[in-house]
Amino acid sequence: MSLRQKLLLLFSLTVAAAVAAVAYTVLLRIRDVFEEHDRQETALFVSQFQRAFQHRSADVEAAVQHLAAEERVRSMAAELAQTGDGSPYVTAAGTLAQDAQLDFLEIIGADGKIVSSAQWPARFGYPEPAVLQPAQHAFLKQEEMPDGSTQLGLFAIRGVHGPEPAVHLIGGIHLNRDFLADLPVAEGMQIALYTPSVANDDAGTVASSTAFDAANLVTLAGPLPYGTRYHSIVLSALTTGQQTGSVLYLTSRREDSVNATAIPLRNESGKALAVLVVAVSRAGMVQAQLHIRAIAYGIAAAGILLAIVFSLWIAARVSRPIEQLASAAEEVAAGRWDVRVPERGRDEVSVLARSFNHMTEELMSQRERLVQSERVAAWRELARRLAHELKNPLFPLQLTVENMVRARRLPEAEFDEVFRESATTLSMEIANLKAIIGRFSDFSKMPQPELCRIDVSDCIWRVALLHFPGLVRSDSRAMIESTSGSNIKCTVQVDTQPLPIDADPELLHRALSNLVLNAIDAMPEGGSLELSVQRREGQVEIRVSDSGEGLTPEECERLFTPYYTTKEHGTGLGLAIVQSVVADHKGTISVESSNGDQKTGATFIIKLPLAEGEGA
Amino acid sequence: MLRRLVISMLLAAASMCAVARTRPHYGGTLRVETTGDAWQPPNGLARRLVFDGLMQLDANGIAEPALAIDAESENRSHRWEFHLRSGVHFHDGTALTAGSVVASLNAVCSSNCPWTSVHAVGTSVIFLSDSPMPNLPQLLALDEYRIALVTSDTTGASNVGTGPFQFAGAANGVITLTANESHWQGRPFVDKIELRDHRAVRDQWLDLSLGRADVVDVPPELLRLAREQRLSVITSQPAVLLAIEMNDAGPLANASLRASLGFAVDRASLSNVIFQHQGESAASLLPQEMTGYSFLFPVVRDLNKAHELKGGLNVSPLILGADNDSTMQLAAQRLALNMQEAGFRVQVTTPLHHLDMILRKVDVPDMDTGAALEATIRRLGETPVSTEQTAIAQYQAEHDFLDKHSVLPLLFLPRGFATSSRILNLRLDSDGMPMLADASLEDAH
Repeated sequence: MSLRQKLLLLFSLTVAAAVAAVAYTVLLRIRDVFEEHDRQETALFVSQFQRAFQHRSADVEAAVQHLAAEERVRSMAAELAQTGDGSPYVTAAGTLAQDAQLDFLEIIGADGKIVSSAQWPARFGYPEPAVLQPAQHAFLKQEEMPDGSTQLGLFAIRGVHGPEPAVHLIGGIHLNRDFLADLPVAEGMQIALYTPSVANDDAGTVASSTAFDAANLVTLAGPLPYGTRYHSIVLSALTTGQQTGSVLYLTSRREDSVNATAIPLRNESGKALAVLVVAVSRAGMVQAQLHIRAIAYGIAAAGILLAIVFSLWIAARVSRPIEQLASAAEEVAAGRWDVRVPERGRDEVSVLARSFNHMTEELMSQRERLVQSERVAAWRELARRLAHELKNPLFPLQLTVENMVRARRLPEAEFDEVFRESATTLSMEIANLKAIIGRFSDFSKMPQPELCRIDVSDCIWRVALLHFPGLVRSDSRAMIESTSGSNIKCTVQVDTQPLPIDADPELLHRALSNLVLNAIDAMPEGGSLELSVQRREGQVEIRVSDSGEGLTPEECERLFTPYYTTKEHGTGLGLAIVQSVVADHKGTISVESSNGDQKTGATFIIKLPLAEGEGA
Repeated sequence: MLRRLVISMLLAAASMCAVARTRPHYGGTLRVETTGDAWQPPNGLARRLVFDGLMQLDANGIAEPALAIDAESENRSHRWEFHLRSGVHFHDGTALTAGSVVASLNAVCSSNCPWTSVHAVGTSVIFLSDSPMPNLPQLLALDEYRIALVTSDTTGASNVGTGPFQFAGAANGVITLTANESHWQGRPFVDKIELRDHRAVRDQWLDLSLGRADVVDVPPELLRLAREQRLSVITSQPAVLLAIEMNDAGPLANASLRASLGFAVDRASLSNVIFQHQGESAASLLPQEMTGYSFLFPVVRDLNKAHELKGGLNVSPLILGADNDSTMQLAAQRLALNMQEAGFRVQVTTPLHHLDMILRKVDVPDMDTGAALEATIRRLGETPVSTEQTAIAQYQAEHDFLDKHSVLPLLFLPRGFATSSRILNLRLDSDGMPMLADASLEDAH
């Protein structure tokens, strides 16, 4: 990962984390605000319900009070007190209840027994426990009905004025789902009433069931949807008698959730007879939250995007000088010492850039001096070689010319003979001079290779057969040996698989011939010459080994320097030409020789790239 | 002298007016309203006016000849021969024959009849039975055995009879009956009776108060109210038995459970409250006034005994049916409450099939005890066993019948009617029904 990428990642992560933290905090706060609002709304409704309940209680008390004060009821009470016969009034409660718009009404005689019951006319004569300790205010009661069911009602007890002991009226209204119609309901709010199922045993005792039955949880329009979800808060309110609230998720969708409050409706003894459930839909809140969240996410995404762009710019600004320095360093490593990096600002990077430029300038200066010194040394070497080479022919030429001068004094016949011999010598030496000059000329005029696809094996065999005609070419990997007249045994070892390379066959042949000739020269008293070629690491490796004297490490180091030679009559250009040819073919040449004193010989190793597409 | 003469003439005129005031007048239209069905057997008002029986009961419940002029029993009452009155015609002019009587009797009584077979021989109708029929003349005086003309195109009895009134038509819920001028007992006083049935009691009372009705029903539970409202009310002796019929199959197959229910019911509350002290608690089929031994059947509620007889058995919920009438429903609810206290779960409904119990009213004829017992048992859908005509044997027969606990007597109730001031001489028959044929109207001309 590059420095720029690292910087970009670091900046982006930092900004993204900051944005996420801010967004999370904002969303958390918004949720808290909404839920607080929700709670307040629910609490408001609960207080409204309690007020409505109190109003309804007051209405019931007033209705029963009004009935108790009516003349017909007072007359009835008086007659009851006088005769003790309630039979004439067995159906009176129904009529009175209808007139007073009460759902329940019972006339209780002085003996505490029912004289007439609107809700269960057949119950006359049965005792009514509620009159033993008459409540001053309205109270809740589960009223048994003829069909065995029970109905929740809001009741009030009032004594009829006049006779003593008093006749009582117990009147009430249903607390069923119709009661819910009068309660204030806000948008998105549902109100349901839960009344537990009751069971009658054989003794006629009525007992409320503790099991939750969703069918008993009804709204004004019918059963409350997803009623089973409310069982926990309903049962909690029923068993504890305390108001219970909770957020209920009706489906897997967050929008389908409600803030539910279960309000127990208790009787005089504090037992919860029913539960009023207020469910405030959280759909609006959740949708608002989702909307705000979407906006927050959009802003965060845009912020992060901007942060990335900004980080890109910052990273580029910070890393560009360093990248330039790295690139320049790579170029310097590749040998291009003239590279320079721009110097901007006054920071550490600019100091580094100035130092780098100074370093390359120093390197360039040193290399220039080195080149000049090498050039001078080369010219000196060239001059020495030229002087050496030219001095050899020039001395016989000088002797020949001096012989010819001295021969003028000899008789003509002798002169002629000396002249002819001298002329021959002169011609030979001049030819020698030409050859020397020609070699120098050839070195200076190395042609550009004309590449074509060849098999190295062919080239090896061609060179081997040129110098060792006795060899017999074979395609096998087997060693083929041949001995030349100079008592040198030649061994050729080639790979059996094709070794194609893109090369100029003539130049390669010339280079290999030079190596073979050098090897032969290195073994004046005979020895063994080994030519081998094989595929290695995607390259073709050619080895020319001799068993001669070998080379010292110093010789190995300077062997390819032009005009450097270890031979008495060498020009020092042969291996230089070989290196030049190998380099033109994008190859390398090296020499291995462990120790010349032990006559381990030397091995020249040429590595050439395989032809394109054959590397694998 | 003149003064005396004038006074004498005034006194004579006043006495003539008084006689004229009480003397029946012919003519006029009598308007009768009832809650029941006018043609409903056995004692629908129209049936009693249009049809006659072979025998009829007098005001004391004694059987006397009607369409039959006499009856002879043979073979220890296994065979009875009734000789028909001659010259009697149905309202359409068809002559009354023994064959038409047999056809009518076969039409109204296909099973559980007092006789095994009936056939006509000349002008006589012969009844045969495998068991003695000592009460047959009294039974034939019951409303269910009144004779109607059975024509070939009808499978049951028509509305053509030989009674004092004949069916003239029905329109807008009013059945019009006109006087039969050639009735064998003579023409009735009123020319026409307009009979409106299926009428609610309060509507009847309203019509009575507005002068649109002359005779209306007063159910027992409203008798006190009617009197308080100063209606002219006439009531009968106990004539209707309120009883529970129990299905001896299903949940109540166990006779002990049925007996338990008998001890669970509170007859006093039914009588004193629901029926406003008009009922007479009863555990027998016939009232005390008729038999003299009804007190031997206990009417007191005994919950402990009820629990003991139930024996902790778990009984599936029982269904008690009652007429869709507020009082009957209230009584059924009260009985269900009583039974609930004894450990039974009872649901009250209107009559349907597959009931475990049904609360119903059974007309109890006021006649000879043996005949009344047989008639009542038959009206309860049971077959009586023949008994000797002694009080002990009759008690034993009734006791044996009730000991099966398939019928639980509760109350005897009177019948009651309210009349308008224009009606004269309206009396109740021995079975508590109004004798409309004998009534006349004050303003008739």
